[in-house]
Amino acid sequence: MNRTVLISGFLVTAALVGALFAGLGRDPRNIDSPLIGKSAPSFALKTVGSHEVLDVTDFRGTPVVVNFWATWCRPCWEEQPLLTAGASALKGRVQFVGVVFQDDETKIQDFLNQRGSAYPTLIDEGGKTAIAYGVGGVPETFFLDKTGRIVAKYSGALTPELLEKYVAEVTGK
Amino acid sequence: MTAQLGRLLILASLLVATAGVVTGFANNLRWTRRFAYAFSALMAMATLVMEHALLTHDFSVGYVAQVGSRAVPMWVTIVSLWSSLEGSILFWGFVLAIYIAAATWLTRDQAQSMPYAIATWLACGSFFSFLIAGPANPFGSVSPVPLDGPGPNPLLQNHILMVAHPPLLYLGYVGMAIPFGFATAALLRGKLEAPLLGATRKSLMLSWIFLTLAIMLGGWWAYEVLGWGGYWAWDPVENASLLPWLTATAALHSVVMMERRGVLKGWTVTLIQASFLLTILGTFMTRSGVFNSVHSFTQSAIGPTILVFLAAVLIGSVTLLALRIDKLGNDGAIEGAVSREGTFLLNNLLLVLFTFTVLIGTVFPLVVEAVNGRQMSVGRPYFDAMVVPLGVALLFLLGVGPALPWGRVSHEQIKRALLPPLVGGAALVVIGLIAGVRNPWAVVTLLFGGYALQVMFASLLRGAAFTREAGRRRTGAQLIHVGVAVVMIAIGVSSTMRTQSEVVLTPGQSATIGKYKLTFTGTEMRDEPHRVSQVARLEVMKGAKKVALLEPRMNQYDAMREPIGSPDVYSTLGGDLYVSISSLESDRAALLLITTPLVSWIWGGVVLMAFGGLVALIPTRKPATVEVAVTEPRLRLMTP
Repeated sequence: MNRTVLISGFLVTAALVGALFAGLGRDPRNIDSPLIGKSAPSFALKTVGSHEVLDVTDFRGTPVVVNFWATWCRPCWEEQPLLTAGASALKGRVQFVGVVFQDDETKIQDFLNQRGSAYPTLIDEGGKTAIAYGVGGVPETFFLDKTGRIVAKYSGALTPELLEKYVAEVTGK
Repeated sequence: MTAQLGRLLILASLLVATAGVVTGFANNLRWTRRFAYAFSALMAMATLVMEHALLTHDFSVGYVAQVGSRAVPMWVTIVSLWSSLEGSILFWGFVLAIYIAAATWLTRDQAQSMPYAIATWLACGSFFSFLIAGPANPFGSVSPVPLDGPGPNPLLQNHILMVAHPPLLYLGYVGMAIPFGFATAALLRGKLEAPLLGATRKSLMLSWIFLTLAIMLGGWWAYEVLGWGGYWAWDPVENASLLPWLTATAALHSVVMMERRGVLKGWTVTLIQASFLLTILGTFMTRSGVFNSVHSFTQSAIGPTILVFLAAVLIGSVTLLALRIDKLGNDGAIEGAVSREGTFLLNNLLLVLFTFTVLIGTVFPLVVEAVNGRQMSVGRPYFDAMVVPLGVALLFLLGVGPALPWGRVSHEQIKRALLPPLVGGAALVVIGLIAGVRNPWAVVTLLFGGYALQVMFASLLRGAAFTREAGRRRTGAQLIHVGVAVVMIAIGVSSTMRTQSEVVLTPGQSATIGKYKLTFTGTEMRDEPHRVSQVARLEVMKGAKKVALLEPRMNQYDAMREPIGSPDVYSTLGGDLYVSISSLESDRAALLLITTPLVSWIWGGVVLMAFGGLVALIPTRKPATVEVAVTEPRLRLMTP
């Protein structure tokens, strides 16, 4: 038995496997936003299918989930049923808002007619709101607590576990 | 039905591979060989079933529903086998199956170590069968059966290199399992003797050739597709392919020391083990979703499974090595630090240091995030600062090592060996300075590169004059070394002398970069079944002569909103003119123009390296060996 080989080998093994293990739960797409912990940029946008303008500050007092999406984005299709189910289940406790990015109103309307929705969908003309939130790509979802502070952000399609985790963070439960 | 058949074949392959592991470690060669062939046949059949399902658009099979499409061309359908996670793992298993069958067949007249070697290969085989059967099952059933699918990721459809780069990489990666099997067998038996050593070296060289080509094609692909005009970005997955290449390169050198001097046996075995382990690490990096990269697939459940496998193989290898390394022993000793042996040793140390540098740079962000929760990335400056001096030092050894004689060397011999090639180095520096090279690292690269080229050409010329004495292995190694010197010179010059400019042109307008004048003549739409392309047409003039028509384009795929830019390149031996589109409208093109010298020398140099590897693999004819043995016993060792 060569002890030097054994000890140095196990040190390298432990360091490497340890580092990789620590990284396992990591999602490289989930990049920290400088906005986390800060007050969310306010926006007032037109609602799809009506001429009504909705101001996000009207929801102060309730935690808000702001989901940036588009009909041309495949992962957005995948997460839409989850968001709709979440919005229905959490009605009155958490407000969901969809913000559509670089898209046509007719396409969005068709999409919502076919697949249904449980929360308001707003059109971000010119992408100004997405720029204010530093959206890098859709889908991207921001979680605001009841004071309007951004608690978390997720890039990519949400899973039920992630949605549950972030909602717990904004509701404080 | 197809899905069930595929799954059944995979489960059967898992069964026979496991049986082969048991019989192999029980030292029953006959049955182990049978199980090896059976595993290979079953895995190959499962892969054919999947290819058939892809080609017949059988959307009842999970993987086909995920990546298949009736709209894509046939070549895309065929290669979609490796365009997504589950299919790529199946393809991985297929490549392993081919390797196992070939290696079992080629070693049919060897007996002593083979049960252990085959059992080791089949242990890898059973792991991949397990992955395909469970965590990465491509043979799921889909109901109701969709009429069409989305097709593979458009980024992968965007270039024909999708056909060649992944298979070559898999051939390089998976091939490392074969020398690993031999090394494990050598440790278990406590002996690494001639036939096993030869087989180990050849299988290592074969994987090295594939890996070399794969890395080059990956760089070429990035260059041709990604639009930023570079070929290497220290992306974690690029690093993952470089790591086993570095240790395999070190092992190929230490094998020579082992053959000539009977030293470094344990070290060589360690390097071979490390090369295989690093391919598993590479698999983890590409398939776990832990690293962000152009290569990574979405988060998947197979990450933890591969990590467990990596940990198990690491622990097993370290334990086996600790128990048995002293049994391998050393029959000889190294004489003199300034000698061919000395440079081999230093080369090995530098390559291992290089490996650790890249490994740490790749894994470090994970450690930082785990410790303090902050995200960071180790970027190009770290790698450039660390790796450039190491690369230059290796280039120095590339010239000095082969110039020095073996064994104890006198001062006079050293002077005679080392001074003449300075002419080659100086000549290349002068040429470089005249051509405008000013970066100090690039100048040093030219000096050492020119030095090494003179050493290689001189010894190739000597070899050509005495073909019977010079074994093909030596000629092959010299060709590889010429290729390495060319690649390093080309990297040194191209990375320090690039010029670029961004221009906006309307039809009829021109822009000048370097010695080229580009005129934008307009745009054109091209329809293909799977995409629509908007092409910008640019006429390239050099002086009064029209030299090329470049057509960078924006490809619009159904499954993507944003079009993917596809650059176009005008390549000459002196350098490349590279044009990519920033934005394109019918009456206005915003373009990125780049000129980079010597880029095509990188691709050419790598092809020469691979060719040299193939030359080294061809066995030397026996009569030549016998004659050499009479006059110069030492040389016999070089031409087994």
